Amino acid sequence: MPLGIVLRNERRLLAADRALAAVLGVFALLFAYALLNGMAWVGFQEETVASAREGNVERVEALEAELVDIENGGSPSSPFRDPRSASVLGGARGAHTAVLEPGPLTALAVGQSDLLPYYYDISIYTNESSLLQNGEIENPLNLLIGRFDLAFVVVYLMPLLILALGFNVLSGERERGTLALTLSQPVSARGVVAAKMAFRALVVVGLALGVSLLGVLVSGGFGAPGRVALWCAAVTAYALFWFTLAAWVNSLSRSSAWNATVLVGAWLLLVVVLPAGVNITAGLLHPLPSRVEMITVQREASNEAVNQRSELLARYLEDHPEMAGGVVAEEANRAALAWAATEAVNERLEEVTADYGERLADQQTLVRRYRFLSPALLAQEALLDAAGTGDARFARFQSQVREFSDEWRAFFVPAILAGEPMSAGVIPRLPAFDFRDEPTRAVAARAAFPLAALTGILLIVGFAAARRLRRITGPA
Amino acid sequence: MQSATGPASERAREAARFPSAAPDAAPVLEARALVKRYGDLEAVSNLDLAVRPGEIYCLLGPNGAGKTTTIHTFLGFLEPDGGSVRVAGFDVTRNVLQARRRLAYVPEQVMLYRNLTGLENLEYFAALGGWETLTTTRLTEILVDAGLPRGAVGRRVSTYSKGMRQKVGIAIAVAKEAEALLLDEPTSGLDPKASREFSELIEKLRRRGVGILMATHDLFRAKESGTRIGIMRSGTLVNEMTTEEIGHADLERIYLDHMHEVEAAK
Repeated sequence: MPLGIVLRNERRLLAADRALAAVLGVFALLFAYALLNGMAWVGFQEETVASAREGNVERVEALEAELVDIENGGSPSSPFRDPRSASVLGGARGAHTAVLEPGPLTALAVGQSDLLPYYYDISIYTNESSLLQNGEIENPLNLLIGRFDLAFVVVYLMPLLILALGFNVLSGERERGTLALTLSQPVSARGVVAAKMAFRALVVVGLALGVSLLGVLVSGGFGAPGRVALWCAAVTAYALFWFTLAAWVNSLSRSSAWNATVLVGAWLLLVVVLPAGVNITAGLLHPLPSRVEMITVQREASNEAVNQRSELLARYLEDHPEMAGGVVAEEANRAALAWAATEAVNERLEEVTADYGERLADQQTLVRRYRFLSPALLAQEALLDAAGTGDARFARFQSQVREFSDEWRAFFVPAILAGEPMSAGVIPRLPAFDFRDEPTRAVAARAAFPLAALTGILLIVGFAAARRLRRITGPA
Repeated sequence: MQSATGPASERAREAARFPSAAPDAAPVLEARALVKRYGDLEAVSNLDLAVRPGEIYCLLGPNGAGKTTTIHTFLGFLEPDGGSVRVAGFDVTRNVLQARRRLAYVPEQVMLYRNLTGLENLEYFAALGGWETLTTTRLTEILVDAGLPRGAVGRRVSTYSKGMRQKVGIAIAVAKEAEALLLDEPTSGLDPKASREFSELIEKLRRRGVGILMATHDLFRAKESGTRIGIMRSGTLVNEMTTEEIGHADLERIYLDHMHEVEAAK
């Protein structure tokens, strides 16, 4: 098949067709706008992260200065906020903000990163309820459709561009009558369709990857070449899926209008209806407990705990006999009591949140099982995973935050119970959070699965199209 | 008055200088016992037909006689249900690409890419035909030789008349040095002048040794430019004669007699 000849002719045809050139231009603008939007988000997130880090340093410095001052005979700024008290230092005043840096390709796919919290204020009072709070209050429209980022344009809009370019590659030639002259040359219909699709794929994939790589270049994501490669593979496989689908529809030898209707229907089904259907089904089958319910449980537990402080303390000391000797001073006693109440609340909360976590996991399992229904779901999963803005990186962040929260508590609670005063000397020993990112290998291993499924679907559709096209010998 | 120096006598002189192909030359288009059915309808039944180099074979017949079906089987657009078709010795069913390399096709409406120029269209189709290396100068020459005004060569095809598009179709045949040319009612809808120009054009190709099969309703053109005439009816060839054999006889009479036979038989 003289591929080069068809490619050159298609380039001429495209250049001569103002409408198509305009469509391409509009999409180039959409891609560029999406990239700018993603970069704006990354800028915002980076700023927030930087200011949280600054806050950590400033807070610790102020506390250290106050402690040194007190040790030198000064008095605390307020008797209720005395940093010598472990519950103050580990609680309200010394809280450490654990932050998640934007992923290396967040500029390409904001994904869930504007929805899921990327920073938590960790103190000894941090519990499951605070981990379930969302950091940002968002525009509901953004929550609904996600941010207008490159991943959104690739998953939702790029198929439309592909369909606009490819719905009539064969039917159009037949309707315009040029197919007769084409097929009277030593070429096959299959070869012609393949070459025409190849040209369009070069244009669309070139555009999508070009803008992606530009984004990577500008936002410095080349530090993660594995993720970049994964992103490019997912974009290419997803685009090729739509091209082969268009080729298959063309192979049915119907009119261009019929092709367009069927392909737009397929877009609606695969990109809009099925993903929404899977999410709705997951929500119906495994409904999450309401947040109001959680807050009520938290308040009840906390009231109860306050009412039964002494009882709780007795019970707590039964559980922790080693602490009993330490509870001497009245102040420490009060702190220990308060701590016992906190723990009781946390225990109740854990029961509720365990249920929440289980149902969330069930939902995710269901979504994972049915993502094979739609190449859009597979592509989105692979893209977000590559960008580090999918569920996985956030789950990892949350679990590390939990560990850190435990570490923080373990640092302060013995001192609270023992009523030990804190000194300036502990400041340098305070735990600090540092997110450990997943190695690219692990990301690749996980994303390989949806990517392989996508490639499989693409090959099946491509094979079916090739088989049908082989039977087309004439222009009729 | 004019006729003594008119095209007919000119043609007669040329025909004398470039006689029809020798009867023993190997045919460039050959159908043997060709059968093509559409469901229950037998569109072509047991057709034997051969066109030799330097021959213009005019296929006459009413609509539905099987003329276009025959041409489409030569092109490999349709697969025969029986018998075989060969182009320059290549069995079309088995070796369609080799066959298509050696033939050119001018349908009733030559449909080109409207947004491209005549030259760009020729460049594309000639390249597809295996002639990628032709220079722009050579391609322009071919178009002008085919009768396209030099000024039109670089204009978009959307501005072309039907006759001009036919000329691009012929130019494709010339560019790919086709051994066989298949014409499906090429002159229908052309004005008499364009129609005559077209006849002259294919006569030029014939003299170069191209074997031409032309399906037509135009009895006048058939007698004027054909070297042999076949009359098809209901998928079979009912009469075949050289234009010399027809001589001064009335082709229309012969044709209509064959058609009446059908009606009488009914």
